[in-house]
Amino acid sequence: MTKARRTIIFSLVIGLMGLAVMAAAQEEDLGMVSAALAPRAEGLIIARCSVCHSADLIAQQRLPRARWGATVEKMKHWGAEISADEADLLVRYLSARYHPGAPDHLPPLDHELGKAEPLTQEPEASGPLVGVATRGADIFAHNCQACHGAGAIGGMGPKLVKNPILKHEDLFWETVLHGRGPMPAWGSALSQQDIADIHAWLLTR
Amino acid sequence: MNDEGESGIISRRSWLNRLLCGLGASLIVNHRPSQAHAAEEEFASRETGPLIVRVTRPFDAETPVREFTSFLTPNHRFFVRSHFGPPPQEAVSEANWKLRVGGLVERSREFSLKDLRQMETVTITAVVQCSGNGRAFHCPKVPGVQWERGAVGNAQWTGVRLRDVLAQAGVRGDAHHVQFQGADRPVVDSVPLFVRSIPLEKALHTDTILAYEMNGRPLPLLHGAPLRAITPGWMADSCIKWLTNIIVREDEAKGYYMQTAYRVPAKPVEPGAPASGPSTPVEVMPVKSLLAAPQEGETVKLGPVTIQGVAWSGEGKVVKVEVSFDEGKTWESARLVGEDHLYAWRQWQFVWKAKTAGIFTLLCRATDAHGDVQPSTSPWNPSGFLWNGWDRVTVTVTA
Ligand code: HEC
Ligand code: HEC
Repeated sequence: MTKARRTIIFSLVIGLMGLAVMAAAQEEDLGMVSAALAPRAEGLIIARCSVCHSADLIAQQRLPRARWGATVEKMKHWGAEISADEADLLVRYLSARYHPGAPDHLPPLDHELGKAEPLTQEPEASGPLVGVATRGADIFAHNCQACHGAGAIGGMGPKLVKNPILKHEDLFWETVLHGRGPMPAWGSALSQQDIADIHAWLLTR
Repeated sequence: MNDEGESGIISRRSWLNRLLCGLGASLIVNHRPSQAHAAEEEFASRETGPLIVRVTRPFDAETPVREFTSFLTPNHRFFVRSHFGPPPQEAVSEANWKLRVGGLVERSREFSLKDLRQMETVTITAVVQCSGNGRAFHCPKVPGVQWERGAVGNAQWTGVRLRDVLAQAGVRGDAHHVQFQGADRPVVDSVPLFVRSIPLEKALHTDTILAYEMNGRPLPLLHGAPLRAITPGWMADSCIKWLTNIIVREDEAKGYYMQTAYRVPAKPVEPGAPASGPSTPVEVMPVKSLLAAPQEGETVKLGPVTIQGVAWSGEGKVVKVEVSFDEGKTWESARLVGEDHLYAWRQWQFVWKAKTAGIFTLLCRATDAHGDVQPSTSPWNPSGFLWNGWDRVTVTVTA
């Protein structure tokens, strides 16, 4: 082995070690950011991002922040129902968890999605919820229609009009709050009043 | 380490690659060995199924490369890709389905499947490959389905010539492009439709067909039933599935999937640079080869090992495939075998006599009649299209 060659390899090794230390520190920071944001962000990904495609399309990306920003912006433009604040939170989360240096196979998220933090803070319940059908139509259109079809006649998800589950309120609430298979959990995205409104509207159909 | 041979030792190129792309990856694996291992195992078990699923909905899945030891890729093993998933079965049933041809034609026409079956039948064996095949290897990483090696297949396509269909409508003199649209729809209306066009010259080419059969069977729903375009030699973004509308136009199709997506920069760009400047649509497949056997991670016995794979090019026939055991410093020619058709892939073999036990990286590269040689890595582009870097498999030889 020539001297020049040895020097090159030596500096490569030193450089690599330096980079490794930096990357490890950075990795730890990013890990903390993504863990802190995960409950809200994962709730949004299930409720808002999984309408048109499954979340595995999102989790396989490894992108720098600018490209996450552009991607979320594009999704919003195409119809993802997220506010500017939610978009911002998602970009922070996605670029912390799915950054270019993240491993191909990430360890699973620690928290259970059912426990995702509510996005809307519930005021303390005062008396029983009364659903308002006229409001429900609009909430349904923005949150459920993509999968359950216009007028709730069915699509990728089952038909909800005249669905026996409407009469089994506990089952209805259980499914909508916590999700089931490909059906997202809405406990983190909608208020109880919103869900009651949808239920009331579905009953009128 | 000596200056001639580096086989078995991580090469400088892959060191650099790791530095730039995968450093984080190797570190984390060391941090949390058990979890990373579990994830790896789960992933590996998925690979033993007929397809490697990349996206569950809409369904995108690639073929494990070991399937490419056969000349034709069976329908149920053929990679699946669409933007919105297949349309409902009723929409494309023989009773409901129609092909409409309009735009810059003398007379708009409608064809039923029966009408098409009464026209002259042609069969072409052709490679169909997703433009994003190999996207996962671009460095730095780019957004999109992270295809690795298997978003490609070789099948026999039977149908009618597009030019015969167009002739019945009569293409007008001012026409320059032919636009395709399928019956697939996004779940939300605000998502742009998958509409694309090809230049009239390609549309009128005698080998461009509308296929209703795949490997002698009616086209399966996932592969575009009842009719899809096949543009031999071109990437699959032109091979529109569930085809229902053909519009002859003066200009290229409008909309996201023609004007923004499926394009590459007209001039080479810095890796990582944002998409800007003039671009051209993804069309011809660059020359490419894959190593189908032995498989990645396989252990083989000391002694002769048959290395085999496939090679193809959109620019003409493959004339040479070579393999390397020293990270591309020296190459040895493989033997081209099997059937030889213009748009199909060519199978190849090389009998390797490993002289020592150890870990070896096998590489392959192809050369086409045009003189194009498969490069070590492809030019980076913001959407990660047209990957055709050397294929690479690492195997262990035991005594
Ligand atoms: C209104 C439908 C819709 C919603 C809602 C949606 N997406 Fe998408 N998304 C798409 C379509 C269409 C594609 C392109 C799919 C394809 O080409 O196969 C896509 C692709 C992607 C990709 C792959 C990269 C790319 O640009 O093709 C990512 C990442 C992604 N979406 C993230 C998200 C995130 C994060 C959200 C939630 C904020 C979201 N999507 C919500 C429709 C949607
Ligand atoms: C991403 C697609 C998707 C969205 C968005 C969605 N659902 Fe669902 N939903 C499904 C699927 C799929 C099922 C069937 C689940 C199963 O297989 O068990 C389902 C099931 C249900 C059921 C149970 C039906 C039955 O027959 O048991 C109810 C109730 C329901 N959804 C209500 C809603 C409401 C209310 C919304 C909006 C707040 C909504 N869904 C949004 C996909 C979705």
